[in-house]
Order: sequence, then C-alpha cells, then structure tokens
Amino acid sequence: MHRVAITGLGCISPLGLTAVDHWRSARDGRSAIGTITKVPLEKLKVHVAAEIRGFDPNDHFDYRIVDNLDPFTQYACVAAREAIADSGLDFAGDLAEETAVITGTGIGGAVTIDVNSERIYGEGKSRVHPNTIPRLMPSAATSQITMEHGITGPSFAVTSACSSSNHAVGEAFWMVRSGRARAAITGGSEAILTYGSLPGWFALRVMDTETCRPFDRNRMGMVLGEGSGIVVLERLEDAQRRGAHIYAELAGFGMSADAQSTLEPSEEGAAKAIRRALEDASLAPEGVVYVNAHGTGTQANDVNETRALRRVFGAAADRLLVSSTKSMHGHALGGAGALELVITAKALDEQVAPPTANLTDQDPDCDLDCVPQTAREATLPGALTNSFAFGGLNAVLALRRAP
Amino acid sequence: MDDIEAKIFDIVAKERRLDRSTLSRDTKLEDIEIESVDLVEIIFAIEDEFDVDVPQEEDAFKLETMGDIVDGVRKLIEAKQAETAASGE
Repeated sequence: MHRVAITGLGCISPLGLTAVDHWRSARDGRSAIGTITKVPLEKLKVHVAAEIRGFDPNDHFDYRIVDNLDPFTQYACVAAREAIADSGLDFAGDLAEETAVITGTGIGGAVTIDVNSERIYGEGKSRVHPNTIPRLMPSAATSQITMEHGITGPSFAVTSACSSSNHAVGEAFWMVRSGRARAAITGGSEAILTYGSLPGWFALRVMDTETCRPFDRNRMGMVLGEGSGIVVLERLEDAQRRGAHIYAELAGFGMSADAQSTLEPSEEGAAKAIRRALEDASLAPEGVVYVNAHGTGTQANDVNETRALRRVFGAAADRLLVSSTKSMHGHALGGAGALELVITAKALDEQVAPPTANLTDQDPDCDLDCVPQTAREATLPGALTNSFAFGGLNAVLALRRAP
Repeated sequence: MDDIEAKIFDIVAKERRLDRSTLSRDTKLEDIEIESVDLVEIIFAIEDEFDVDVPQEEDAFKLETMGDIVDGVRKLIEAKQAETAASGE
C-alpha cells in the first residue's frame, strides 16, 4: 500500500481556463452563472447556465485533429496538459507504462450527438461526418490523453452521471495506492449545453431560472455548467523524493448505491458513501473540517446532504465548513466532481474554505456552517468532496492536508 | 477546368489547408500528405457536395493523384445521371 499525493492540477471551467483561475474565482466567490450564449434561447424555459468563455480550440489543437474532438474531449485534453505540466512528471521512460488514465463523463460527446441529430432529423441529410462516432464515444477523452502523452498503462472511462468524476478519481486512487499503477491522470469532463438536451433538464423541474443558491431558503434548483478538471496522482514517496509540490494527499474513497429512486436522494445512501470514504482514509470525523458539498441547490439534495453529514458526523457536524461551489461554476455533471476536487485540493493547500455564493437567507433545514458569500481561513487538516448522482450512485473522496 | 474539377480542388485545398493554386491534376496525394483520416473526410465532403455515394468496395486508397479523384467522381456522377435517366424521370 502506498500513500497517494495530488501533484498536478488542470482545469477548464466557467470560472477560468486554468486551475489557478478556477480556484481564485471560487475562493473569491465570483459566480460565472449568466445568460446562455451557446444556443438559441427562443424555445428554452431556462436561460441561465455557467458557460466556458474565451476558449478557442484552435489555440490548442492542430487543424487536422481539432475537428475530430468533441468539446468534452478538448476540455479534458487541455486540462490534462496543464495538470501534467504542473506536476512536472516526465513520461519519457518506464513511467508511461505504469501510468493509468481514467476519466469520467456523464454523457460523452453530447455536442456531437446534437449536431449529428440536427443534420439527420432537421436538415434531412443522409450522411454525417466520418468523425461522428470517434467524437461521441464517452472514452474519447481518455484515449486522446493517452495518445498526446504516450501513456500506455491501464486506461478507460467511467460513467455514473453526476458522480462520474469521483468514481474515476477514486478508482485511479485505488490503483496507485495498491501499486497496480505508479501514477494516474484522472478527473472528468462534460460539455452538455446543447439545444437538443436543455429542454430535458427543464422537464425534470429541478432547474433554477435565475441562479444557483445552495442551502438557501429561496433555492429553486440547479444551474448547468460544463468543463473539465484533471489531476495527477502519484505515490507520496515518489513526489517527496523528487521534491514536487504536493497540493494534498488523496486519502480515501467511498461509494454506495441508494437502490431506491432515480431522482429522490437517500440520506442513508449518501451517509454510507461518506462513512466509507472516512473509513477508507482512516480519518476520524474530527480530521475533516472542509466539505465541498454536492450542493446542487435543489430542494431535495441540500436537505438530504445536510442530514447525511449530521448522521455521519453527529455533534462534530457543527464544526464543519460546508460549501457548494456549484453556486459559482454550475453543475458540470460528469465533470463536476473533478472541478470540485481541484478546488478542494487548493483549499487544503492554501488552508482556505471557499464560500457558497448566493447564500443570503439560509434554510433552517440546512443547518450547517455553509460559508456564505465569503471564503474563510481556517485550519483544515482534511476534507471531503461529495458527489451524489441521479440514479442513486454516490462517490465521496477524502483528502488530507499535505504532510 | 470544369465545375466538378474546380469543386474537388476546393475541397482538397480546404481539408489540407493548401493554396488551391498549387494543386493540379498531376499532384500526387502522397506529396500533399493526404493520410487515410484526411481521405475519409475528403470523401465525406465530396459525397455531400455532389450528392453521390462513394461505394465502400471502391478502393479509395488506391487513388494516387488529384486527377484520379476527379475522374472517379466524374464516373460516379455520370452513373448517377444514367440511373436517373433510366428510371424515366
């Protein structure tokens, strides 16, 4: 068994086009939620989302490659480049053989599916572009990262709706911890702001039409986001030996299934995943101070998550600093856990709990310290980051401050 | 240069980001580094432009020059026109 260090961070998100900018915006409480610009609004009932701005794929990819990559793959590749460069790891030697690439996505090439369907159903064409299938595969991002960096270790994609990233990172973490891989490039990516799929979200009646207000009495639901977070994991002893900056130790992973309902969350299901993450990390409840909540801003989630935390932490829950950064970067589904892992690692690195934006009138049923509006400096020995997906698939990561 | 040839030159120039004036019927695909991935994209663009189907059994990878592409497409267009005429339209 090896202890596992997070030594590289990469991010493309509505909060910024690098991990540093993503973190700074989250720490400073700046929300990226605004009016949707990527698709026409006439038929849409929800006009807000957190969109990535200022990203031109032609700045990052050769013209012969760029058309073969759905935006979700483009985001993941650029985030992976940043994370790898940040880690300082060199895959030139044997390390390439022993490194895993495991990425999560809820849908995969949603933009490609949308464009393709519009061509066939809307324009009545009979042919679609030959890159359609390679673009839409949920594993396309994983493959592209392996090709760009010549990584030949165990590599695959993971999907579990909103928990995809955490499941991917958790599996990669276990691989490095057990010695099955020496290092891992892991995280998740999503690009789901498409004309064809947005009405489906409204149909669920879980969307806020103004902004995302987790834990607030007036919360109306979630706001969609997009983006990718990628981290580099390696053995703690390797990282220490080469003098790499260690953002945090990835210490535990817990998962569970509610086995109950597609949309209704379960208090026990969430609590079970949290408990298992703590046990896996050998972390006492007192060892955790910061929690990056799933915190979607729906009526059901925020109360359920509060109760689940109380169930696991008991009286110690009152010491927790619990924030939902979805209030700023929106809900990037299969990419969400990775965007939040980057924030959680930086929170431990800088010993600052980022805030929950838009929280002005806290719901008494969400009675934890939800760090409203402003970040808080505090001693943060450990942290959790929660993902609870539609369909009742839960995945929680536990982190420790770098030794 | 007729319309078919002009359109094909446009497509190849666009796909490979080349100056169209550097292309001729004798230009070898190898020399302008047309790889298999480029070729499937070019075939797609041609099918879309001329509304013809390049049959799977057609060994597109045997094409050597720009002229070969033009002649192949011309044959497909003529075959389609003959079919349309035969069906009595």
